[in-house]
Amino acid sequence: MKVQLREIAHGRCGDKSDTSNICIYAREHKYYAAMEKQLTAEVVRHHFEGLVFGDVIRYDLPQLDGFNFVMHHALDGGATRSLRLDSLGKCMEAALLRFEIKIDE
Amino acid sequence: MKTIRIGGGQGFWGDLNDAPVTMAKQDCVDYIACDYLAELTLSIMRRQQERNPERGYARDFITALKEMLPDLKEKGTKVITNAGGMNVKAAVEVIKQAVMESGLHFKIGYVLGDDVKDLIPKLRAQGISMEHMDTGESIDRILPNMVNANVYYGVEPILECLEGGADIIILGRSTDTAMFEAPLIYEFGWKEDDWTAKATGILAGHLCECGAQATGGNYDYDWRNVPRPEFLGYPIAEISEPGRLIMTKTRNTGGLVTPQSIKEQLMYEIHDPSKYITPDVVADFSKITLNGLEQDRVAVNGVTGHPRPDTLKLCVGYLEGYRNIAYLPYSWPDALEKAKMAAQILDKRMAMKGLKAIRTRADYLGLNALHGPLAPELQQELNEVVLRYAVMTETRAEALKLTPEIAPVSNLNGPAQGCFFGGRTRPSEVFALWPTLIPRDAVKLTSYVEEV
Repeated sequence: MKVQLREIAHGRCGDKSDTSNICIYAREHKYYAAMEKQLTAEVVRHHFEGLVFGDVIRYDLPQLDGFNFVMHHALDGGATRSLRLDSLGKCMEAALLRFEIKIDE
Repeated sequence: MKTIRIGGGQGFWGDLNDAPVTMAKQDCVDYIACDYLAELTLSIMRRQQERNPERGYARDFITALKEMLPDLKEKGTKVITNAGGMNVKAAVEVIKQAVMESGLHFKIGYVLGDDVKDLIPKLRAQGISMEHMDTGESIDRILPNMVNANVYYGVEPILECLEGGADIIILGRSTDTAMFEAPLIYEFGWKEDDWTAKATGILAGHLCECGAQATGGNYDYDWRNVPRPEFLGYPIAEISEPGRLIMTKTRNTGGLVTPQSIKEQLMYEIHDPSKYITPDVVADFSKITLNGLEQDRVAVNGVTGHPRPDTLKLCVGYLEGYRNIAYLPYSWPDALEKAKMAAQILDKRMAMKGLKAIRTRADYLGLNALHGPLAPELQQELNEVVLRYAVMTETRAEALKLTPEIAPVSNLNGPAQGCFFGGRTRPSEVFALWPTLIPRDAVKLTSYVEEV
């Protein structure tokens, strides 16, 4: 079964200069394996095409059932210089929640 | 076992001003640390100070402090804040006045020396290169446009204030976390090379420094069910020994503390979880575990630390240009089509005026202004949509070219445009930041304690 990440995960995003980070955690441990397998750095980079222009790195936090994604060249030059409405990148995690993931029924 | 309770009373300049007052009144904490400084804040404060030499600090803090003074005295709670911003001296004078008017006696500590703008040419002459931390570019290009230059310092000068008996400590650009770390080192006498102990203080600071974000604010996990968000309690860390702490919040308030609320804040603005670099220690958050205790209490275990870096971070704010942004709302029918036509009209008008822009962009609020190209395809016609039209230019005069063009669009375009947001648009300054590293001994920070 395919669901949007919003059904099975929660998290937060933050900014430092032109870098955005998203931490994302499985709402229940049983979803962690699916996220670990499908939510790779490459997949997240692809998901953010057109909004993020640099490398994406994933750090794993298995004991917390989650991941920290660090995305470079993500914020139109950084909060102070950005022309975007979401200059601080506060909506980046929400944009990831739309990602579709396969889980066992 | 000795336990120190330290709260985060403020997460940013403009945060809920009664949060630290409620914490001082309704709870009993040893320290309240109030963070006012984000990356851009000091550039804005410098501009305020240039217009008025008595300004350039977070005046909200004074309002809160006045209300807190009786409780601070009665309970022996100490306050540490970076509200001094660009003008620590002016903030201290106003605080001394407020303390005198209260009829109470306090020792006021403060730290000067993080503002190094006037020292930059001397540092350059000494051969300190100040290349951009990420790109390696030489700093010389931006020096003519420099607005402010501040060093992020660690615990040492704050410890000197505490050792001098200070009850209220006013700082400029200390790191957020040092305001939490310093009292813990002072209270527990942690050794200079006890990196895990120091990482515990950094963790307490990291979890508390954004106020509501640890206690049910921005709570992605279950935001609908956060109790009384209008009276949300701010976070308190309880520390007894190195490597572990307990997170809770101000007694008898709204909000919540759960493993999920702590998880969300734990990685906030963190890159590599195993290397959180501060001037005091490199903290390792990568092996942290969380354990829910009784209601609104979460144990956070497993933080460790590694030796501190040899350098300090210096952040130079500089003027990069000007930004002018207009908002034009359109109604059904054909709201989006009209909004797009307005953008086209503006593009052509700006070309007719020969606008020299660094960048321009048009977004549609209600459609794609927050997620850009990630926004899904429109499934049905929008009832209303707002065009957001933005230009960035090198000079104020160029940015100003947009301003007189906005109102006429309402008559040049199709019908049913609502009022402009915020009236006539005005260009605002765009600051950029130049992060770099400098040797620790390149700056001299000085601590003062005065009795009032």
